[in-house]
Amino acid sequence: MRKKIFWFALLCTTLFSALLVNATTSHAAEKTYTIGTDITYAPFDFQGSNGQYTGIDIDLIKAIAKEEHMKIQLKPVGFNAAVQAVEANQMDGVIAGMTITNARKQQFDFSDPYYYAGEVMAVAKNSKVKSLSDLRGKKVALKVGTQGAAYAKSLQKKYGFKITEFDQSNDMYNDVITGNSAAAFEDYPVMAYGIQNGIKLKIVTKPAQGGNYGFAVKKGENPELLAKFNKGLKALKKNGQYNKIIAKYLGKSSVAKATATAQKQDNSLWGLVKQNKSALGNGLLQTLYLTIISIVLATIFGVIIGLMQVVPAKWANWTSSTLIYIFRGMPLLVLALFIYIGVPNLTGNKISAFVAGIITLTLNEGAYTAAFVSGGITAVDGGQMEAARSLGLPYGKAMRRVILPQGIKIMIPSFINQFIITLKDTSILSVIGILELTQTGKIIIARNLQGFKVWTIVAIMYIVIITLLTWLSKAVERRINK
Amino acid sequence: MNAVDNNRVVVTDLVKNYGSNEVLKGLNLTVKNNEVVCMIGPSGSGKSTFLRCLNKLEDPTKGKVVVDGFDISDKKTNMNKVRESIGMVFQHFNLFPNLTVLENVMLAPVELKKATKSVAEKEARQLLAEVGLAEKADASPASLSGGQEQRVAIARALAMHPDIMLFDEPTSALDPEMVGDVLDVMKKLAKQGMTMIVVTHEMGFAKEVADRVVFMADGHIMEEGDPQQIFDHPQNPRTQDFLRKVLNA
Ligand SMILES: Nc1ncnc2c1ncn2[C@@H]1O[C@H](COP(=O)(O)OP(=O)(O)OP(=O)(O)O)[C@@H](O)[C@H]1O
Ligand SMILES: [Mg+2]
Repeated sequence: MRKKIFWFALLCTTLFSALLVNATTSHAAEKTYTIGTDITYAPFDFQGSNGQYTGIDIDLIKAIAKEEHMKIQLKPVGFNAAVQAVEANQMDGVIAGMTITNARKQQFDFSDPYYYAGEVMAVAKNSKVKSLSDLRGKKVALKVGTQGAAYAKSLQKKYGFKITEFDQSNDMYNDVITGNSAAAFEDYPVMAYGIQNGIKLKIVTKPAQGGNYGFAVKKGENPELLAKFNKGLKALKKNGQYNKIIAKYLGKSSVAKATATAQKQDNSLWGLVKQNKSALGNGLLQTLYLTIISIVLATIFGVIIGLMQVVPAKWANWTSSTLIYIFRGMPLLVLALFIYIGVPNLTGNKISAFVAGIITLTLNEGAYTAAFVSGGITAVDGGQMEAARSLGLPYGKAMRRVILPQGIKIMIPSFINQFIITLKDTSILSVIGILELTQTGKIIIARNLQGFKVWTIVAIMYIVIITLLTWLSKAVERRINK
Repeated sequence: MNAVDNNRVVVTDLVKNYGSNEVLKGLNLTVKNNEVVCMIGPSGSGKSTFLRCLNKLEDPTKGKVVVDGFDISDKKTNMNKVRESIGMVFQHFNLFPNLTVLENVMLAPVELKKATKSVAEKEARQLLAEVGLAEKADASPASLSGGQEQRVAIARALAMHPDIMLFDEPTSALDPEMVGDVLDVMKKLAKQGMTMIVVTHEMGFAKEVADRVVFMADGHIMEEGDPQQIFDHPQNPRTQDFLRKVLNA
């Protein structure tokens, strides 16, 4: 018994220190600006084959920071997560190939434009679609929240096509390549860079409805950051660095080089594993951390709430029912976004995506746990409690020695099930930019465009850890049932 | 023993409602030390409810219930303490399936610090021997027959050294050939001077063992007296009617 308590205490301590370390990373003595970037938006934001994020946006913001002696921390979290994080004061600025629009100006203050890009339509290499008027009755793939999407939507009525939207550029391209959609709309430089790097699409329209890319901060916040960006941009344009950066990604010679290296890569399943083993390993580790910490916290939370559901106290029953109702009813995705983006808006305190993820899983999985914990206890014959109480055992002792041991046996299969669901649900946390296994997969695919093979690798990794988790749970179950 | 006088149970004007349904309609009953009282009556007359009011498994709606000197209708009374001296045996045994037979009997004395583990174990084995189940100490309740389970349940209640034992139809869930063993244990207990209130349909047992028989119907005590009086010369027409039905069945 004492040994068990010791291990439990050790586990708790480890978990809480892990949380603390994560929570304290946002503190710093001197003001460091946190800048969100996209992750799958080559040539502006993407992961190079060395695992480092690179692109026009990244090089530009780094050069400006150097020029202006600013400390910045880049957070490659994806366009949507970055934009929402800035709105929620979770980050200071966003540079992510973001077109300056009037609608966005309601929420953001933009820098001077740093790049001008028009929208183009791209179709599969062998497609017969040549112009907008060929789209009638066909499907068009768009990326959520992009200028290309806005442009396409403005044409939808006139040309009569249907729309499917994607979170990732690569998914949008693939939908066109496989023939599900007839065309995609994309910023010209992005599309051109992608095609030269092996995406099997062709551009069939001239750049239209050009838009300016700008660096953005939340409206009314961080004016000094914006001023420094503008000043730095001016300086880079003057001293030629700006042109160098653009040429590095869009100049003919560099594209040719990139294509050459892309072709040399070993794209077999095993080759992909070898090239990406550190990224995949880190993703796996994050998934495991999230899973283990969440399972422990959700179990503690769930058992407490589950017990509150059955104790003879009205306020406890009511509190428990309400918590279960809310957190079981809310989709995990919404809960994650609400906690990461909504809560800081309400309280004014930032939380790291990792902590937000843990809280999300604890609340959601905990609510499910609470429901089957109270169900398990209720399933124990009522005569058991009466017999225990009639012997003089107080409620707590009767619960602990008689009811819970029987209830837990009933609950074990549900616990194992819940552990596996928790593991799988960690993948949803990719929406708030946590670099777990699924997010890692998306990022690798954005670089090498090997969607099918990379998802195969990721799927196998999930199956392996789920198998291990199941096996571990069954071993524990056998011990308890002995 | 906490009773100032010789009374173990004093019930005055006990009323119990379930919602608007009045189940006990003002009962009065006194049970003396060492007395064995058998309660009989038709189904639904409130016998179980009455018994459960004596250890507060049900909250009395009105009236006064004094058990072993404790006024349990008083909210401030520590019921856990009072229950330690009231043993209860249920129709469906309610043994704890997660514990062995021995652990079932030892649980309360050890948890409530009435005895050290080793003393409690010795006593538990002795009690199991008394109910004829010494060799089943390490068995799990699921492996016992109904009659054996009920005898373990009696031993479990006795392990707390109660002053009073309540039995709610302890043999009605048993196969006929098991009934005798359980009744024998109860007779032995009665002979040793245990104060007992027994709700039962075993008229033979009531005749032989009871000091007093109480007949209940419709939430009232209709008639009470010694076994001869009730079984041979019932006064109340309801009692006569009930006995005619059960004895001719
Ligand atoms: N928890 C409860 N809620 C509502 N009504 C109840 C409850 N328990 C008992 N009753 C009602 O109270 C009345 C008396 O029930 P009780 O179980 O005390 O009768 P009994 O004399 O023990 O009957 P039996 O011989 O069938 O055991 C019945 O009408 C029953 O339906
Ligand atoms: Mg009954």
